[in-house]
Amino acid sequence: MSLSLLVQALLNGFGLAMAYVLVALGLTLIFSILEIINFAHGEFYMVGAFVAYLAFGVWGLPYVVALLAAIVCVAAAGVVAERLVFRHLRGKTLNAFIVSLGLLWVMQAAAQLVFGVQDKSVPSAFSGIVRFSGVVISVERLAVTLAAAALIVALYAFLEHTRTGRAMRATAQDADAAALLGVNIEAVSAFGFGVGCGLAGASGALLAPIFSVSPSMGELPVVKAFIIIIIGGMGSLPGAVLGGLLLGALEGVGTLFFSSAAVNLLGFLMVIAVLLLRPRGLLGGT
Amino acid sequence: MRTALSVIRVVAALASVAVMAVWTPAAAADKVLPIGVLGPLSGGAAAYGLDTSRAAEMKADEINAAGGLKIGGDLYKIKLIVYDHKASAADAATAANKLLFQDKVKYIIGNTVGATCNAVQTVTEPQKVLFSFMCWGTKNLAPDKPYSFRSLLSQWEVAEPFYRWVKEKHPSIKRIAAISPNDTSGIDTNTAVVKYAKALGFEVVADEYYERGTKDFYPTLTKILALKPDLLDVAAAPAGEAGLILKQARELGFKGAKGWTAGVNPVPMISVAGKEAAEGVWTPANIDVTSEFVSPAVRKFGEAFVTRYKEVPGAIAIANYAAFDVITKAMVEAGSLDTDKVLAALTGRPHQTIWGPVVIGGKDTYGIDRQFLYPVVIAEIRDGKLVDLAQVAPIGLKK
Repeated sequence: MSLSLLVQALLNGFGLAMAYVLVALGLTLIFSILEIINFAHGEFYMVGAFVAYLAFGVWGLPYVVALLAAIVCVAAAGVVAERLVFRHLRGKTLNAFIVSLGLLWVMQAAAQLVFGVQDKSVPSAFSGIVRFSGVVISVERLAVTLAAAALIVALYAFLEHTRTGRAMRATAQDADAAALLGVNIEAVSAFGFGVGCGLAGASGALLAPIFSVSPSMGELPVVKAFIIIIIGGMGSLPGAVLGGLLLGALEGVGTLFFSSAAVNLLGFLMVIAVLLLRPRGLLGGT
Repeated sequence: MRTALSVIRVVAALASVAVMAVWTPAAAADKVLPIGVLGPLSGGAAAYGLDTSRAAEMKADEINAAGGLKIGGDLYKIKLIVYDHKASAADAATAANKLLFQDKVKYIIGNTVGATCNAVQTVTEPQKVLFSFMCWGTKNLAPDKPYSFRSLLSQWEVAEPFYRWVKEKHPSIKRIAAISPNDTSGIDTNTAVVKYAKALGFEVVADEYYERGTKDFYPTLTKILALKPDLLDVAAAPAGEAGLILKQARELGFKGAKGWTAGVNPVPMISVAGKEAAEGVWTPANIDVTSEFVSPAVRKFGEAFVTRYKEVPGAIAIANYAAFDVITKAMVEAGSLDTDKVLAALTGRPHQTIWGPVVIGGKDTYGIDRQFLYPVVIAEIRDGKLVDLAQVAPIGLKK
């Protein structure tokens, strides 16, 4: 195996890992605040992709505007979902699980009714290929990685350095104690759910020009997101980034040796290994 | 007394109305023929299921609008019963059981996704229910499954004539790479491609599979393209995934020939791949109903389909429309709904369909004549459109 092939495989793996980390961060944020696992999270990713498809692909708005529109629209949809549905299920993991599965089917079917079942293409936002020493990098994928990384840094800064961010972290640590200290739990929950969904929407909008857009496109990213947060540690932002990079490297290099179907199993094997050896994840708290 | 008489009069009047209603000739003649349709109507393979059910709906509406089916002196209006199995074999078996034992269906016209057909056949064959489908599983047709038909050319009919054509017209192509989804349809397609390509003297450098729903093909393509194939065949990949593979192969610098042995819906494939990446793709199982190369009947069907459903039908829709047509005509010819009699009317002779003449053959491949056979048209995608290059016959049709 040549060195350039190995480098290419690693770049392939890392290339889109950051976009999946965004999905994972949204999922883990919602879990931290509301103690529910939102199985419909992939559908918010799908909605973000369709907003980008409409804004950028159909109406011809600038890509950055389409990306911002996707984040805002999906975040708003998340707030509505929290207000109408998930607020009443805080801490009721099983109930929330079943309701989120129902929401998943409703959102997929609604997208199917509105947009049809055939894949929709979104024009490339950034064209061009960078080649060096036998390695190929698409400018578009590079842009997605940088944009996703920027959003992760922005999220980190928001959670660490703003009053609302600190309120969200306090609620995640102990909602009752946070409420006693004057944190408006209901507002924080709605806002946190919106931010979590907005991250998924951002990921969908970032990947829409690279992939195609379809009602069922959220199924795979949400599985990857679960793998990432289990490996990295539920609730840990650096853990999600580490989990995403590890999964990307495993999938990228693993494909050189195994069929892509078998490589999907490697991710789950890694999850089993982490759960057995370090159940809280690589960087998860106690 | 007067009140009692009034009541008797009213009852008598109502009774006479009821008796007249019962004896109205139209009411006596109209019977209902339930026909089942299965398919993935939701999830990643929903495009196949919707093509299947919509084509059945169009044909059933045509028949009902024309007065129904006259079978053995009775006039039947068709009632479609459609179930979504989400491409799951377990759900397909459940749906088949409902169709047979709850809805009392004796005919199922339409289903896709190989594994689901296997599941349905475990229910339909013992009950002698006639089952027509577009699944591509090799084992879906066999001597022990006499009530099963495939109405769409499968990989076994198109792979050999396609690669024979490649060898004759493009002798510089020596090394083939095939990629398909990791399921029955994909494995059977790659198996057919590998078998016939090797038999024709090609070197198969990659026989690769991926999970349905995959969007990022860079890792798999990196491995495949390192093997320097002359032709990349996105064999059984559905339109969206085939488009992504071709788009990403181009990004990674692939400039060789491209094939799509089992592709059945070129418009969305081209839309996803983009004109540049789709340029030059050879496709032997495809159809573009808007193209000037298809028959007037197919074009008319395509126009009606687009008007009604706002989406362009693929080959699956046309195949199910043709199957519905052939089977319902066989019912009329047999003068009975007994599936053995309809089976006798179906087999052993050609049928005139929307495709043109169709022969039900396939005995050499499957051990039984249950495969609809019609000529393969090899087309090339040029500037975003299908251009017919050649018409070749599957081995079975030649015989």
